[in-house]
Amino acid sequence: MLRPSKRAYPLSWRLLDAAEAVVGLIRPKRPELVVPALFLAPAILLVAVLVWGLVDMASDSLHVLDTATFLPAEAMSLGNYAQLIDRPIYATVIWRSLLAGVIVTVATLLLAFPYAYVMVRTPSPVIRRVLLISLFLPFFIGQVVRAYGWLIILGARGIVNGAITGLGFEPLKLIYTYETILFGLVQYMLPFAVLLIAPAITAIGEEVEMAASSLGANWWRGFATVVLPMARPGLIAAGVVVFTLTLTDFAIPNILGGGTNDFAANAIYDAFFRISDSGLGAALAIVLTFLGSTIVGIILAIAGAGTLGMGGRAPAKGGGA
Amino acid sequence: MRGASRRQVLKGGMMAAAGAALTGTPALVLGRRAFAAEPAKPAEIIVRAWGGVWVEALDKGVSQSFTEATGIRVRHDLTEDNEIQPKIWAAVAQKRVPPIHVNWDTSTNATKSALRGVTEDLSDLSNLPQLLPVAKPVGLEGWPIVNTYSYVYVLAYRTEAFPDGAPKSWTVMLDPKFKGRVALYNDGIGFHPAAQVAGGGKVSDIPANMEPAWEFIRKLKAQQPLLGEDPDFTNWFQQGEIDVACTIISNAREAKQNGIKVDWTVPEEGAKVDTDALWVPKGLPESELYWAKQYVNHAISKGAQQAWTEKLGLPGVQPGLTPPADLAGDPAYPTTPEDFARLISVPTPVLVEHEREWFQTFKEIMQG
Repeated sequence: MLRPSKRAYPLSWRLLDAAEAVVGLIRPKRPELVVPALFLAPAILLVAVLVWGLVDMASDSLHVLDTATFLPAEAMSLGNYAQLIDRPIYATVIWRSLLAGVIVTVATLLLAFPYAYVMVRTPSPVIRRVLLISLFLPFFIGQVVRAYGWLIILGARGIVNGAITGLGFEPLKLIYTYETILFGLVQYMLPFAVLLIAPAITAIGEEVEMAASSLGANWWRGFATVVLPMARPGLIAAGVVVFTLTLTDFAIPNILGGGTNDFAANAIYDAFFRISDSGLGAALAIVLTFLGSTIVGIILAIAGAGTLGMGGRAPAKGGGA
Repeated sequence: MRGASRRQVLKGGMMAAAGAALTGTPALVLGRRAFAAEPAKPAEIIVRAWGGVWVEALDKGVSQSFTEATGIRVRHDLTEDNEIQPKIWAAVAQKRVPPIHVNWDTSTNATKSALRGVTEDLSDLSNLPQLLPVAKPVGLEGWPIVNTYSYVYVLAYRTEAFPDGAPKSWTVMLDPKFKGRVALYNDGIGFHPAAQVAGGGKVSDIPANMEPAWEFIRKLKAQQPLLGEDPDFTNWFQQGEIDVACTIISNAREAKQNGIKVDWTVPEEGAKVDTDALWVPKGLPESELYWAKQYVNHAISKGAQQAWTEKLGLPGVQPGLTPPADLAGDPAYPTTPEDFARLISVPTPVLVEHEREWFQTFKEIMQG
């Protein structure tokens, strides 16, 4: 048997062989199995960071503040959670946030659906353009600026009260109330909801509505029995987004609430920054995350995960999950 | 000095003069020290400050003259004091360089940082021995912080709403005609001691029995008060949203100087007097630490104190400052022990220990 000579191949060939071997180690033999996992990597990384943060926060929530040193106590305890139960303020702000979440979600969906429907179905390009511009314009104005804008409009000497007093009536107290916060939140959430509902309506072919009409359904019946059920994925997605954003909102309750209508996020801020109690703030954040996740989980369980295309198959025509 | 050029001699003299301006030490004495090892100067130092009239006063009263004397630019960081605090705490814990060089803080918050051990020792500052006793932190060893002036939480009022003159008592806030037109700080800060007396209690019962204060605040809740922070008060007076407020005198004075028809008084029950402080966080490079401390030393020098606190309308901690013309003799501008006796002072350690509990109780009443 002939032994291969070291000179049998030129050096450049051997270098190329080595390079190919290195590439072979890096590049998978069956890329169709690995590439999808690589595409998932950013999502996994994002979730991992969130989970890491939550675990860290859960750990912080188990250490009570020592006011002698302003450091968290070494010992682990449920003292911060006990404080959340003992002090009624926390139940108040959590309940207020949850209630606002429900009210704002319902009100926003009621306003967003017709808006999205008209925007998608209108035969007039002018109307569609106006609606689209109106939809995107608020995104150029930050939440804080918008909230301050409402203060100017609804204040004691604002535009609305100016008109009221101009007509000879007494000025009304329009700001620093729970209702004003809800109003501000609905105005803030509306574009998000429209953006989530519009694709769902776009996916419903106009011929489906025409078929319902040709089979004898009037417009309302066709709308209620065909359009609404088929738009359910968009409605559920919009509802979940609006509810969770409302539940955790800080700026609008802070600015439009006048200091007397705090939400849970404001209480978390206070714990972290006003009273320097990071353990208490962490406990409140964990409770809020748990409540929000549970409620969204229940919604998805009732609506069916397939509603949002999470069931591994497309939603059935006709609205079934 | 052999071999030194004329320019170098002049430069040395200028450094001595700059140092003298900073420390209040005669130039000749400092001139000898200036040739000792003085750390290199950073291009800038960062000082956290409150916005509005507060940062303007600090800039004109302290920072500009510090820059003139040293050539070091001063950048003001307007992050809220409550928000910078955890950032500094985290930086020190993680052995990172803190985000600012000097923190302008409430004495209560500054004391928390001192208890946590994140403040540098300032006891070698040359201007400390001259200061009034109020400058010394209470309940702490040495000088981890320096109190820089006093301020009073006055009863500010819209003059048009009080044609018969200043209100005499905090109980005016309960008058039904002011429903929805009363304002307090959103954490109740500065109001608890006044509410304690107005509610029929005694200052000596603080903190053991605060029920009279809470009872008064519960009554006030029915008045639907507005709750905000420093800039809100000026804004509310300007917008005609409120008639009476418990706020720091500087905010009321700023509103008045801006042409808003606002005045203030110390009611018969008294008003809370408190202090703010300067401190330097741990973890700074050596040269920056030195110049940060020099900034504090400059801020408590007589010249800077006069300019700074005059603009704020607050009594400084240097003896013999000239009060602003509009505040001379004002009970809300305390300078003598008799003046302070008419006001309500709660020791900082008591505030630090009970702040969380009082905050939560105030919130429970107001959010209910």
